[in-house]
Amino acid sequence: MSLQLVFDALSLGGIYAIAALGIALIFGVMNLVNFAHGQFIACSVFALILPSADAVATMGLGALPAPLLIAAILAFGAGLAVAAEALVFRPLRNASPVALMVASFALGILLQNILLVAYGGRPKAVSLWPQLGSPVQVLSAQVPLLQLLVIGAVALILAGLALMLKRARVGLEMRAAAEDFDMARMLGVRANGVISGAFALSGALAAVVALVLVTQTGVADVRMGGQIMLVAFIATVVGGMGSLAGAVAAGLALGAASALLQAFLPVEARPFRDAFLYGLVILVLLFRPQGLFASVGAKPRV
Amino acid sequence: MKPAICVLALLALSAPAQAEDITIGFAIAKSGWMEAYDTPAATAAKIRIDEINAAGGLLGRKIAVVEADTRTDRAGAAKAGLDLLDQGAQMMIVSCDYDFGAPAALVAEGEAMISFFLCAEDVKAGIQGVGPLSFSSSVLAPVQGATMAEWAHARREARAAYVLEDTFIEYNKGICTGFEWMFPQLEGAAIVGRDSFKNDDASIAAQITRIKSLGDEPDVIMLCSVMPGAAAAVRQIRAAGIDSLILNGSAVDGSYWLDATPGLSDFVLPVQGSIHGDDPRAEVEAFNRAYEAKTGARPASQYAYPGYVLIDLWAKAVERAGTVEGAAVTAELEKMSDEPTAFGPRSFSSELHHQNTALMQIVEISDGKPARIDEWRISQPVPLDVLMGK
Amino acid sequence: MSASRTTRHQVRRRMAATTPLLLALLLVAFVVAITAFGDRASARMASETLIRVTLVAGFWIFAGNSGVISFGHAAFACVGAYVSAWTTLAPAMKATLLPGLPAMLADARWHVLPASLVAGLAAAALALVTGAAILRLSGIAASIATFAFLAMVNTIWANWTPVTGGTSSVVGLERYVTPWVGLGWAVATLAAASLYAASASGLALRASREDEVAASASGIDRYRHRLAAYTISAFFCGVGGALMGHFIGVINPDAFYLNLTFLMLAMLVVGGIGSLSGAVVGVLAVSLAVEVLVRMEKGVSLGGLTFALPPGSQEILIAAAMILVLVFRPAGLLAGREITLPARWVTGRGAAND
Repeated sequence: MSLQLVFDALSLGGIYAIAALGIALIFGVMNLVNFAHGQFIACSVFALILPSADAVATMGLGALPAPLLIAAILAFGAGLAVAAEALVFRPLRNASPVALMVASFALGILLQNILLVAYGGRPKAVSLWPQLGSPVQVLSAQVPLLQLLVIGAVALILAGLALMLKRARVGLEMRAAAEDFDMARMLGVRANGVISGAFALSGALAAVVALVLVTQTGVADVRMGGQIMLVAFIATVVGGMGSLAGAVAAGLALGAASALLQAFLPVEARPFRDAFLYGLVILVLLFRPQGLFASVGAKPRV
Repeated sequence: MKPAICVLALLALSAPAQAEDITIGFAIAKSGWMEAYDTPAATAAKIRIDEINAAGGLLGRKIAVVEADTRTDRAGAAKAGLDLLDQGAQMMIVSCDYDFGAPAALVAEGEAMISFFLCAEDVKAGIQGVGPLSFSSSVLAPVQGATMAEWAHARREARAAYVLEDTFIEYNKGICTGFEWMFPQLEGAAIVGRDSFKNDDASIAAQITRIKSLGDEPDVIMLCSVMPGAAAAVRQIRAAGIDSLILNGSAVDGSYWLDATPGLSDFVLPVQGSIHGDDPRAEVEAFNRAYEAKTGARPASQYAYPGYVLIDLWAKAVERAGTVEGAAVTAELEKMSDEPTAFGPRSFSSELHHQNTALMQIVEISDGKPARIDEWRISQPVPLDVLMGK
Repeated sequence: MSASRTTRHQVRRRMAATTPLLLALLLVAFVVAITAFGDRASARMASETLIRVTLVAGFWIFAGNSGVISFGHAAFACVGAYVSAWTTLAPAMKATLLPGLPAMLADARWHVLPASLVAGLAAAALALVTGAAILRLSGIAASIATFAFLAMVNTIWANWTPVTGGTSSVVGLERYVTPWVGLGWAVATLAAASLYAASASGLALRASREDEVAASASGIDRYRHRLAAYTISAFFCGVGGALMGHFIGVINPDAFYLNLTFLMLAMLVVGGIGSLSGAVVGVLAVSLAVEVLVRMEKGVSLGGLTFALPPGSQEILIAAAMILVLVFRPAGLLAGREITLPARWVTGRGAAND
């Protein structure tokens, strides 16, 4: 049973990790806590189906074969994020972090209500790759193929990002901008390009979470992505603001903690699982307020 | 003399045209997520109102409808209720859900006016939670759970049950309460395990692991949940290879969610009437066709039916009382015992303005297709303290 | 220095003192206008707006002075609403709906005024205990900790069914909140907020908001002042929550979660987080805008034609409007300035010129 638990924990943690990465990317370059990220996820899910208020959904992009579908949804997520940056966040670039936060909150509400008007409030069934749900025997555990794919995807994405950030020029520029934005601009880094790139990546990651969610649950609902986004924020901060690896590690840890609590709490306490989880978060913050893997520039030097 | 007779005759002729309409107010959600549930039930209510008006009206007067949007917001519900009072409503129909209907119902209660919940299935949507003039026309959640328990035991030899409760809303807890009251009483039956999840959980892998770690697969899994969590849970349960019979409450009625688990089988739920065209009662299919004529599509779920039933019952009570005045009509409603309606008999009493037992149609989904296969009425009414959740 | 000359400092102090008076006058004018010209629905809108003033001004006491965005104040409103319900509901109703209440609360049947005071005190007590831990953190860590706190309170409240009713609404709260009751509490909150802002603690807190390092070099104990502001702020949010509950008559944990948090934050930021006047103006602006849009959704008749917005557009337009306000005035409508009488009026004849 314990190997099964490991896989359960890893797959839930993987989803949170990908979401946390999306949040941390934008926070790194713009000091913005993007409260619209949950709606980026929801919009990417709804991009699979045609807009209508009917009870049954008809597949739009969702009818494409798998490689095209993935590419299309990733492009949609990236495009949505870049558009949001250009229209909402770029004019606010020099505003206070609070104003940015509220603007992203407002953007989230805007997107959610647009979805409500376009698709109606009733959740819709969307069956995407149902064969991925069937279990695969791995040693003593029976693991749904999707879980294995999620774990594999997290590893791939992390490796790819790490490579890009260390080796590619655009990754270098992003790291420089995250560390000291003004200095980077003076050295010739194009601010708009870096920020748009970060948003595009973040949007694509939101689309990945969307695909995982819809394959896992089989439904499209306007309120999707909200709960994951909240956990992703907490993971970003607990991992250490500005540290991408920290965000991923914290996302994995939170997912693991949630799965472990669900498995080991007595049945009367299980509905309070989230209260225990958030209590743990507060404890971690009390002992390491700068986060578990804070980057060098995190603490202000006097 | 002649002119006076002419005037009197004119007055007599014009009197019926001057008689006031009876005004029914609808405090429902026309925007926000609750709209998907309120609109079908309200449409059904209006179908019955049209039928009554076409047959000559109520107490010789036409029924007029006024509406106000609650916007799926509690404060909005209270405002909608007040708005309807200003428009002269004499009976208040409120939202399908206790939380969103109660603020408007309380406004009506304060004016000694009857309030009717469109399809609330919580016992508090009545005397216990609003006041002595409040009613609901749907079937209580614990009754749905108890019906599943007794039916599965009698017809499918269910002896070992696993309860999986979605902690999202009160309705879900009500279904499980009813199941957990009825099932252990039945011969040879026992609940072998329990677990909970939240409707918006990204994955219920841990809960599924727990089910699989039982020695034998349970005969039935009582899933107490609503959309979208219910569809997600079913998909994950079947994907994990668990083939137990899955039971749920009426909230998952409809085929709109079945794409989430293609080829779903062994899933059973109770409904007040079948939307699939196979209900043995002709009036049900007649209603389905009338609904299609009015809106262009058949009802998407059984939650349209309580709207029709409520107008039916209220109108009968008004006819018997001879007035629309709240207390008098309430007294007539409370006398109803197994009053026949198109969707089964309905009863009210001075302690309970809900159904604590009901004739339910049993719908089973086989290979992704729902069909009505049976009907069941529980052998004993659910006691009040179980309904109150003790 | 002759006795008739007033220093610039004294002038500014007098100007600052006029702020709560002017804001209170503004609110009184608002209520009088609504009562004279509005209908029952407008009166309810006025009550709701004044309750929001209480909530947002209370929120400002902490967030505006310390610069720390707290996401947890909706939890104080939740506690306040439920404490007020526990102490004012009929014992018979509590016996059926909330069987887990301790005997002292289950039998209590108080008048609404002491109930709302106790509601505020309970929220303040919770703030004192949790703030003692959370407020040692700085910057974004503190904000996220308050967020975790909000989620904890919400989870506990939604599942502790015997005591709170869980996800089921608690009904039967006495609906005593008229626009005048709302006005009374709003003015009290404004007075308290101004007094705190003008006090030494408020000043110290604002100093630490502006420059953390310089303030601590000047000997300011940021933690102590933050805790004081947090506790006072929680008191008024608790009262605001009690008022909310008694306004609608029905309470449920999810009415005190993310939607309320966003609304409070948005109103504060739209008006300008730096000043109390900004908080009040933000509440009034957003509430009036929402009301106008809701009426337009219901339908407005011009001449013989009825023109109505499609349902669901009100939320979209408000969100878009908020984004636009922030784009064009990122510091808020009042950009951190307070509404005061001009200096000339405060000094009497002639301007101060030392």
